[in-house]
Order: sequence, then C-alpha cells, then structure tokens
Amino acid sequence: MNDTNQPRKSRWWSAEFFSAKDFCRHGVLILLAFAGIHLLGLRESTSVLNGTTGAVNMNPDNAVLLGVLYVLLYLAAILLVPIFFITAGLLMLWEKFLASRRTPT
Amino acid sequence: MKRLAGRLGTGLVAAGIATAIWVPSLHFFFTRPAVEFRAPTGLSTKARQLANRHLELWRDPKLRDGELKRMRASNAEWDFMGRSFLVWSLANIGLRDPAEKTVCLETMDRIIDETLRLEKQEGMCFFLMSYAKPSSYVVQPARSLFLDGEVALMLAARRLLEEKPEYKPLLAERVSLMATGLRGATDLVLESYPNECWMFDHCVALAALRAADHLDRSDHSALIRNWIAMAKQKLVHPESGLLVASFTARGKPLDGPEGSTLWFVCHCLQVLDDDFARDQYERARKELGEITAGFAYAHEWPRSWNGSPDIDSGPIIPVFDISAGSSGLAFIGASAFQDEEFLASLAATLDFAAFPSRRGQRLKYCASNQVGDAALLYAATLGPLWEKLKTQGAR
Repeated sequence: MNDTNQPRKSRWWSAEFFSAKDFCRHGVLILLAFAGIHLLGLRESTSVLNGTTGAVNMNPDNAVLLGVLYVLLYLAAILLVPIFFITAGLLMLWEKFLASRRTPT
Repeated sequence: MKRLAGRLGTGLVAAGIATAIWVPSLHFFFTRPAVEFRAPTGLSTKARQLANRHLELWRDPKLRDGELKRMRASNAEWDFMGRSFLVWSLANIGLRDPAEKTVCLETMDRIIDETLRLEKQEGMCFFLMSYAKPSSYVVQPARSLFLDGEVALMLAARRLLEEKPEYKPLLAERVSLMATGLRGATDLVLESYPNECWMFDHCVALAALRAADHLDRSDHSALIRNWIAMAKQKLVHPESGLLVASFTARGKPLDGPEGSTLWFVCHCLQVLDDDFARDQYERARKELGEITAGFAYAHEWPRSWNGSPDIDSGPIIPVFDISAGSSGLAFIGASAFQDEEFLASLAATLDFAAFPSRRGQRLKYCASNQVGDAALLYAATLGPLWEKLKTQGAR
C-alpha cells in the first residue's frame, strides 16, 4: 500500500536544490505559513512596532514574539515570494533556452 | 558536484535579476496620488475611514477603554495626545464637510469635557509620564505646558468650528496662565516636565495663543515675536540649523533636533512665522526625510546629532535608520507644506508596512495605535483650521 503511494508523493514534493521547482516550492510554503498566521488574527500583534501590545491580557513577551513573527512572514510573503517566483520563471526560460540549443534543428 | 555548482550559480544570478526587477517595482502596488490621502477639499476616503474608526471608539466606551489601556500601559501621554489630535482633526473635518459638523461638535465636546474632568479629578500627572512629580518642577506651583497648550488648542479648535460660550472662560484661563508664565520666565520658556521644556509644547502653546487672538481679539503678537526671536538665537542646533527638541527651564538645549518633534513644530510655525516654518520644513525634509525605492520614511535625528531611541522616537529600524515616531509625524509636515511626492511616498510606506485593517467603512493601522492613527487623521484633514488663523486675522 505504502509502496504504491510513495513515488507519487515524492514526485509532487521533491525538487532539486535551487531548481525552478525548488524556488516555487519555497514560495508556496511561505505563502501558506503567512496565510495561516494571518487567519489566526495575528495582524493585530504588529502593534508591538509602536511599543503597545496587541491585547492587554497577553504576556508582553509573547505579544512581541507573535508580532515579530507576523512581520517577518509578511515581509517574506511580499518580498521573497515574488522574487522566488520570478527566479523560477527565469530559470525555466533558461532551461528552455539550453534545451533548444541542445536539440538539433 | 559540478552540476550542483552550476545550478547554484544559475540560481543566484536568476535570483539577483529577480530582486533587481521586484524591489524597485514593489512601490507601484502601494503608491497612490497624495490627494487620495489628503483631499484639497472635502474628505478623502482614507480620512473618512480613519475618522469613522475614531468616532466608533468614542461611541463605544468598552472599545475605547481597551485601546486607551493598551496605550497607557506604555505611555500616559499618548492617551492625552490621541485626544488632542482627534479634536483638532474633527475641527478640520467639520470645516471641510459641513454635513459632519454636528457629529464633530458632539464628539469634540465629549472628548474635551472628559479630558478636563480627568485632569481635575486625577491631577495633572494623570496624562504625564511617571517621572513627572509636581514637587520637582522648578517653577511652583507646578504646571505642564504640554497639558495647558494642547487643552487650549483643543478649546480654540472647538470654538473655531462653532462658538461655545462655556469654553470661552476656560480658554481665557489657559491663555492667561501660559502668557503670564512665558512673560514671567527669564528665558521665555515653561516646563512640561520637571526642568524639561519641549519645543513641541511651546509651538502648540503659541499656536493656541494665536487662535485665542483670532477668537477673542486679544493680542499676543509681541510675545510670539519675542519667543521666535529667542528660539532662533538660542534653540537652533548650529550644525543642522534645526530647532532642538528640548531644553532646560533656563533655556539650555537638552536634546538636539528630533523628527518626532520637528514635523509638527514646522506645522505650528506656519501660523506664527511662515518663512521660518518653510525654512525649518525644508531643512527637516533634507536632513530627516528619505525616499528609498519609492517608499518614504523619516529619521529621528540629523546625521550631525547622536540621539538615543526613546518613547517619542519609537523603535528605530536599523540599516535604514527609520523612526516610527518621526515617520508618523512626517505625514503632518508633508501634508502641511503640500509636499506631494513625499506625502504620496509616505502613504505608500504606510500601506506597505503599517498593516491597514478595514472593517466596513472603518480603517485602522495595526502597527500604529490610537494616537498614531489620530495623528494620521490630522495629517489627512489639516488645512481649514490653520487657514482661518492665517488669512482672516482677528474675528
């Protein structure tokens, strides 16, 4: 049972390091992590940036941690993810170009 | 191994190109014309949405208590300044949009009455940071120009929107206290905290005197002129030409120039000495304002002054040296001096990095707080109140 499922899973998941698929995979992972933290309502915790906690009943250290986590994932989602996707696109174009040169006309 | 190295090389080059494409393009997703932040007439959508959020806070005591509690846990001053900025904003909103005047007047009265009640009931230290002890003030009986100036400007703003006879003696009392205090002081300065005088508070107080002159036909122009002359002579940082942020009760500079003070000071100077205001704004814009990859922000200190982060500067973001406090108040400077490019780029940064949260027709910035949002609301609505003081002379 397991044996038949394994290759399918790994085909979907596996990617060569620094390949186009690898960049896409990391981009999607970051987006999922950001979507998760956003849906948990942690955007409110970013008030740590002005020195106030998101909620008065929250431990200030935890509030800082959650706020910083949200900010980092937001920045990753808005800065890194598009860069990863553009990189993946460029790599695919490059591979296509190399393949066309290898193929005799 | 050779294949991996090749892939690494190609990947890094592609990532470099992608970064060079994305980073300079990012601001296009956030930049809007400055008029979408501050409309020349009427109210921008953003101003209306920010105002809705504040009006909701003043309608819902539970919501307000939660918000104020959070701010007071960090700084009791913010509770007070949030009220001041909101009252001044509501005066501008009422002048910009007569349909909103009734709501604005009701809310202004509620805020002013509650603020005066709390000050009377809890004492002046209720709205000050914990190191303010009345017995430590150099001038006795102790008074804080921070409170007197902003209360006076709140009362004046309310009366400029529509006269309220009950507030006339209250304004006259504050004006008399401030004017007598300033004239009686050797160096024309008054304390906000023990042996600590602030440029911000003096400029607010002088703007309140100007407003009182307009409303009640008094004349403090000589005092204002003398104060500006003294400030130009004694309270300017020589290297940058910018006004310093704080000084002792003898008029000796303490802190150097600070963005969290200067942007609003420039705005107040517009009704005191317009040429000096423009000069200070241009210097502040050059020394403190920055636009990187389409996003604007502000430093707290000029390069020629080494300051330490405090409650006013807010956290300083390293590398770019971004001060949350200075960047927030830079909106007021940019809006007051109609610096459209700077204002539009500041608004882009706000939407990119301050985490806007919209619920219905209400807007708040999660990375900000009530006082921060009230200052932004003021920047998005300012104009008509100052125009009255600048163009109409005595009423």
